[in-house]
Amino acid sequence: MERIIENIKKQFPLQDVNSDHGWFITCEKKDVISLLTHLKITGGFTHLILITAVDWIEEDRFQLTYLLNNPQLKIRLGLRTFIERSVWPDESEMQSAHHLWPAVKTYQRELHEMFGIDFPGSPEVNDPLILEYWDDIPPYRRDFDTKKYSEETYFPREGRGSNDPAEYMKSQLYPNEGGKSQDFPQEISKKSSGEKNA
Amino acid sequence: MSWKDVLYPFSVWKNILKDPVTIRKPEEREGSSRYRGFHINDLEKCIGCGTCEEICQNAAIDLVPVEGIVAKPGDSGLRPRVDYGRCCWCALCVDICTTNSLGMSNKFRWSVEGENADKAIDREKFGSPDDYLFVIGAENKYWDNSEMGYRKPDNYDLTSPVRVNMDHLSALERQDSFIEMMKGYSKEQAQREADRCVECGICTAACPAHMGIPAYIKAVREDDMEEGLRILYETNPLPEICGRICTHKCETVCSIGNKGEPLSIRWLKRYIADNVPSEKYKEILGTDKIEQNGKKVAIVGSGPSGLSAAHYLAMMGYEVTIFEALPEAGGMMRYGIPEYRLPYDQIDKDVNYILSLGVTLKTNTMVGKEITLEQLKEQYDAVFAGTGLHMGRSTMLENADHKKVLQSIDLLRKIALGEDFYVPEKIVVIGGGNVAMDITRSLARIQRKKYGRVNITATCLEPHGGMLADEEEVVEAREEGATITPAYGPQRIDIVDDENLKGLEVAKCLAIFDKEGRFSPKFDLDDRQFYEADMIVESIGQGADLSYIPKQLNDNIEYSPRRQIVADPDFQVKNQPWLFVGGDIVKGPDVITGISNGHLAAVGIDRYLNKKED
Repeated sequence: MERIIENIKKQFPLQDVNSDHGWFITCEKKDVISLLTHLKITGGFTHLILITAVDWIEEDRFQLTYLLNNPQLKIRLGLRTFIERSVWPDESEMQSAHHLWPAVKTYQRELHEMFGIDFPGSPEVNDPLILEYWDDIPPYRRDFDTKKYSEETYFPREGRGSNDPAEYMKSQLYPNEGGKSQDFPQEISKKSSGEKNA
Repeated sequence: MSWKDVLYPFSVWKNILKDPVTIRKPEEREGSSRYRGFHINDLEKCIGCGTCEEICQNAAIDLVPVEGIVAKPGDSGLRPRVDYGRCCWCALCVDICTTNSLGMSNKFRWSVEGENADKAIDREKFGSPDDYLFVIGAENKYWDNSEMGYRKPDNYDLTSPVRVNMDHLSALERQDSFIEMMKGYSKEQAQREADRCVECGICTAACPAHMGIPAYIKAVREDDMEEGLRILYETNPLPEICGRICTHKCETVCSIGNKGEPLSIRWLKRYIADNVPSEKYKEILGTDKIEQNGKKVAIVGSGPSGLSAAHYLAMMGYEVTIFEALPEAGGMMRYGIPEYRLPYDQIDKDVNYILSLGVTLKTNTMVGKEITLEQLKEQYDAVFAGTGLHMGRSTMLENADHKKVLQSIDLLRKIALGEDFYVPEKIVVIGGGNVAMDITRSLARIQRKKYGRVNITATCLEPHGGMLADEEEVVEAREEGATITPAYGPQRIDIVDDENLKGLEVAKCLAIFDKEGRFSPKFDLDDRQFYEADMIVESIGQGADLSYIPKQLNDNIEYSPRRQIVADPDFQVKNQPWLFVGGDIVKGPDVITGISNGHLAAVGIDRYLNKKED
C-alpha cells in the first residue's frame, strides 16, 4: 500500500495521508476527478464502494469521501476532499464522477438530496431519492433541527405528556417549600410546561 | 401462436425433482446481536433523570410516574415511556443514559393481538396504534429480558466520566501555613467540567436549599457569570463559603456519578462567586435600592442560618439587626472551619454583601448577657435564633476534665481569634469526623511551625473507609504528617499529675452499635495501644448552649429526642409565634441546611407579620 501511495504522490499533490483506521488520502477538490480516473484505470481500484459526506459545520466545509476497492489486491483506499459549505438555500457544488461508474449517479443524487451538494451534469441529480415534497434544509446538514421538524410535521399521539424530573421531585418531596422565591429558570421548566398533548 | 409457446410453460416441470436453488425462508429470524430493536430498561437501575427524553431527536420519549416507584433522593420516581410512532431507533437514548439502564433488545416483531388482527381496522376491537406507546421495562414485554441487542459500547461516552481536577497546593507547600489549599478552577477547567452536566436536575431535590444547580452550571458553560450569580442568590446568599466547604449532598446523587465521577458542583459554584468582584454584586443582583417596610427583626447569631435569614429579610424590606457574641460574623464558618479550607476574606466577601443591604451587625454582643431575649422580643417585631452548636461533647472518661484535655471546637475558635495557646509536641485527638480532621490538621501545622515536626494522632471508633470525615480530609491529613488510626476507641486517660498527662489508652473497636442500632461500642481488650500525649483533644460532637433562653420560655419549647428544637415548616417555634429558629439547633448540622432554614424562616417571618397586621 505504501508503494501505491508513493506512486500517487509522484503524480498528484496530496494534502494528507492517514492510515489510523484504513488508508485515506486527501487531495484538493480540483484534482479529485483526475485522481479517481487514475486510480480506476491504472491503479486497479475498479470498484467504487460508496461516496459519502461529512458536514463540518464549524469549519464551513463538507468532506467528501470516495471509498474504492481493488479486487485484485484486496485493498481499500478512501479518497477525501473538502469543498466549500454553502449556506442554504445556496447549494454546494462538486464535479460529477458519473462517467466513471454508473452507480455514482445514485450516490450523487443522495448527496444532493441529503446535504444539498449539487453535481452538475449528473443524470437525474435533481430527482428526489427518498424524500417526497421536501421543503426544509437538506436533512443531513447539521443545522437541520430534527426535533423541531418532528414536532412541526407529525401529529402528536393521544395521551402523550411528560414531567420534568426536578419539578416532579419538588412536588413529591418538598411541596411545602414552594413559598421561597425560588423560580426554576426557564430553560429547565419549559420541559414540563411544553406538554406534548394534542 | 405455435405449439411451442403452448408447451413451453410445462418445461419448468423438469425441475420438480431437483434441489431448490434458493434457501427456505426461515421461520424465525433472530436479529443480529447488536440489532437496535425494542427498548429494554432496568427499572431498578434507572433514576428517571430524563436525559433520554432530552436527547431524543424525535420527541418520542416522555417521563411518567410508574406505580410502585416513588421519588427519593437521587431518583425522580419517573420512568421513560416511548412512542414507537416517532422513534427512529437511533439509540442516542441508550448512549446518553446516565445509569446504563436503557438498552435495546434484538427483537423487532410486535403485532397487535386479536382475532383477524391483520384485517383490523376497528381499533376498539383489535387494538389501536396507542398500543405502541409503552413504559419501557414496566409492561412485561416478551423482549424485556433479552440478552442480545444494542448496548452502549464500553469504549466511548457522550459525557466524560472523569471530573476536571482542581489545582491545589502540595503537602509540602501547605503543611506549615494556613494558606488556602484549593486554588479554584480556571475558566477553561470550569467550562470543561460544566460541559459534563446533562441538566437533569436530580441534584436540586437533594440540596437542602434546593439550588438551581443545572441552571448555574449552564451559566458557567455559557460564561455568563452575572446570570450565574443571580441564580446562586435566589437560594443561597453565601456562595463563596458554600463553594468551598459545602457538604455537597448534590454531588452524591449526581446522575453522572452513576457511571463515573459526579460533577464538581461545589467547585463550579465557587468559580462563579470567585469570578464576580464584590463591587458589582449590587448592580448584578438589582439590590441597589430596596424599599423598606418599616418592620424590625432581630437575629441571634451570625452563622449560616442567621446570615441567610438576614439576607432574605433585608431583600423583603425588613430592618434587620444581627447580634453576634464573637468579634466577627460567620459563626462556625469562621470559628470552626480552618482558614486553609475557608479563607477569612472569602467569608468577609459574602458577609459584607449581606451587610451592604442595610443589615446591622452588633458583634461582641451576647444575647443573654449584653441583652436579653425578652428585650429583643419587646424591641423587635420578630426574633430569629440560629445560635448553633458551640459546646464540645465530652467522652466522659475518667480524667476527661483534666486541664490538658480540651475540646476541638474551643481550640478552633482560639486559632480563628488569633489567641496564643499551649500546643505541645505530642497530641492525641479523639474523633474521626470532619471537625476532628480540622483540628488535627490545624494543630499539625502549628506543631510543624513550632517544633519543625508533627506528632499528632487522631483515633476514632469507625473503621477505615467508614470514617465520618470526608475521604480526602483523611488523605490530606496524612499527607501533612498526622497519624490517623481508625477503629480504635478510647479506654483510659492516664495522667502524671494535675498538670500533666501521660497519654491515652485505646482498644480495637469491633462494633459501634448494638443489634437495635444503639450506640454501644464493643472492644477487643487484647488489642490495645497506648498513645503518649501532652494534650488530648476531644472531638466527638457538639451540643447547643441554649442558656440564653429564659427558663420559663424554655419550659414551653418542645425538643426532639435528638435535643433539637421542634418548629413548624416555617421554623416558627410552637406556642411562641414571635420566635423563629434555624441552623444546627433545629436541623442539620451543616451550613447548607442552615442557609435553607434561614431562608424558609425569613419567608415564615414575613408571612407571620403580614398576617398579624391583617
